Amino acid sequence: MFTNKKEIILNINRIIFSSLDIREVYETMSKELLKVIDFDRLSVTLITEDNNLYETFVLSKDYAYTELKEGVQYPMEGSLMKRVVQFRQPVIVEDTSKGRFLTDPVLYKEGIHSRLGYPLEHKGRVIGSVNFGSKRKDYYSKKHITFFSQIAPQLAMAIENTRLFNGIKEAEEKYRTVIESSPDIIFECTKDGEFLLMSPSVEKITGYAANQFYENRGYGLSLCHEEDQERVQREILQVLKGQNDSLMDIEFRILHKQGHVVWLSLEMLPMKQNKDIVGIEGFCRDITERKKLDELKDNLVRDVTHELKTPVAKIEMAIDMFERSVTLGDKVSLGRGSQIHEILRNNVNRLKNSIKNILDISKLESGVEPLKLSDISIADLVKQIVFEQKDSASTKNNVLTHQLPAGIPIIKADRDMIYHLINHLVNNAIKFTEHGKIIISARVLSDAVEVTVEDTGRGLDEKTRERVFEKFYKEMPSAFGSGIGLAICKNIVQKHKGRIWVESEGKGKGSRFKFTLPMIVDTKQKVTTNPK
Amino acid sequence: MKELLIVEDDLEMQEFYKDMLEGEPFTVTIVSNAEEGQKKIKEKIYNLVILDILMDGVTGDRFFALLRRDSRYKEVPVIMASALDEKTYRCFQALGNVSFLEKPFNKERLLSEISMRFGSKK
Repeated sequence: MFTNKKEIILNINRIIFSSLDIREVYETMSKELLKVIDFDRLSVTLITEDNNLYETFVLSKDYAYTELKEGVQYPMEGSLMKRVVQFRQPVIVEDTSKGRFLTDPVLYKEGIHSRLGYPLEHKGRVIGSVNFGSKRKDYYSKKHITFFSQIAPQLAMAIENTRLFNGIKEAEEKYRTVIESSPDIIFECTKDGEFLLMSPSVEKITGYAANQFYENRGYGLSLCHEEDQERVQREILQVLKGQNDSLMDIEFRILHKQGHVVWLSLEMLPMKQNKDIVGIEGFCRDITERKKLDELKDNLVRDVTHELKTPVAKIEMAIDMFERSVTLGDKVSLGRGSQIHEILRNNVNRLKNSIKNILDISKLESGVEPLKLSDISIADLVKQIVFEQKDSASTKNNVLTHQLPAGIPIIKADRDMIYHLINHLVNNAIKFTEHGKIIISARVLSDAVEVTVEDTGRGLDEKTRERVFEKFYKEMPSAFGSGIGLAICKNIVQKHKGRIWVESEGKGKGSRFKFTLPMIVDTKQKVTTNPK
Repeated sequence: MKELLIVEDDLEMQEFYKDMLEGEPFTVTIVSNAEEGQKKIKEKIYNLVILDILMDGVTGDRFFALLRRDSRYKEVPVIMASALDEKTYRCFQALGNVSFLEKPFNKERLLSEISMRFGSKK
């Protein structure tokens, strides 16, 4: 039986190391092993990290079904393996029907009558065991142990190698998945501008495929916006010279393949080989959206600041004017006095309005202000506003009228809000109309009342029509008003589950602001209306 | 006599300028928008231009850029006036020979700015 012992051992060891993954050659190895040790079942079990479980790493057998399967973990307690590991000694079970291990009856049922467990040691540590199982009772003996002792160390090493190799493979896989699925650009670039790594996301962000970066040295820098190129180059050089060892973060623009500007934030570190800097590595994030938001925020802050500061500035200047008049002539002349008075009054009003508007919109937007629903007559409201605004309209030589058919129903709505809404639309119409007509009309639709404020004034182009209800949108940045009036209007209409829009044939052709209010208002308060 | 051009669309601000500059030893011309300002600068060369920045239509900063394109106005000193602070408009310094006047200002501040800028050739 052990005639070609030496040759077989050499052969088995050759097989063991013929692959980086022991599982790939396990079958071949076990067939070779079968030539010297008879078994019907052979498995390698490994201790898991927490020492309380073991995993069947590989298994071969000549029968179909088994309880103890490959890849599954079992408790150490009470197993043959536990004993093998504990005493670092081979253990033989002569008869599984009388065995003392928990696994014995399980294997007995499968026809395995005797067992041999052999410890696997690597670098002085027991990592698991090799387990032979035979259908014959009392089969294994010392000679098997002696023989296997010449294979076990190599097998243990191969298993450790496999585990190491799998670990690397897994890490690599993870790394690759991270790089391939990252929305950011991950890159490595040598000193000479050669890309060693460029993640595929670069195509989405810049429009250019990763290949183009691999194939062309210094490709990245050439995409840089010309105004930022010098700065980016300077920063990269600094990193390459080792003047900046920590993580560098710069923001710059590039030109997308399609011509538009993309903002990137670049974080980079020097790439080192034996303390020498050989390149840079890092990642780039598309921050265009954030930049746009920043710009929007800056504009918004600027507009609100301007809107609040201007009237205050004029009030201060009017007071200064007053003080100078007093010092000069002891008595303020009547004309000068009324001029100062008017400026003061105008600007206090303007300031008051701006503050009110800003507070209104934050109240409306936060939703803390509930609708105070009551029965209101749109017709009466329109008549009242026309009456109140007539004078103001005529200062710019406008005629303000209404066209109200009979039978406009009473609806449930918040009276103050609807008043504010129509009033604002009329104010706007007056502001942008001179020597013209402003008509407020209403009509009844199947389920809503539609109100139109029409003027013959300045009109709106398409771009403005789309954006006019946005908060702080102004056609002219300097235009009088805080630019939130129409945003408030939209909010009011939305709260009433209505719709608001604007129609205009274009610049200089007047405009029609329209809104609808449903006749049955379904709000959280669960109020339904009874149309009159 | 030195000539001063003010482009300011706010009528109340115009009143402040008139009041503060009354009786000063220079001619003051005030216009309400950039278009009128354009006409004026074609007629003659002013010694100093004061610009409101946020105006309807062509804004002060755009007017300023146009002004510098006119070869006769390459060096003429400009004062930009706004309720916003100087930071917002630092970029215009590139256009040269410009200073900034924050609103509100009083008579003394305006006059000292004007006398400093008159004839200033950078």
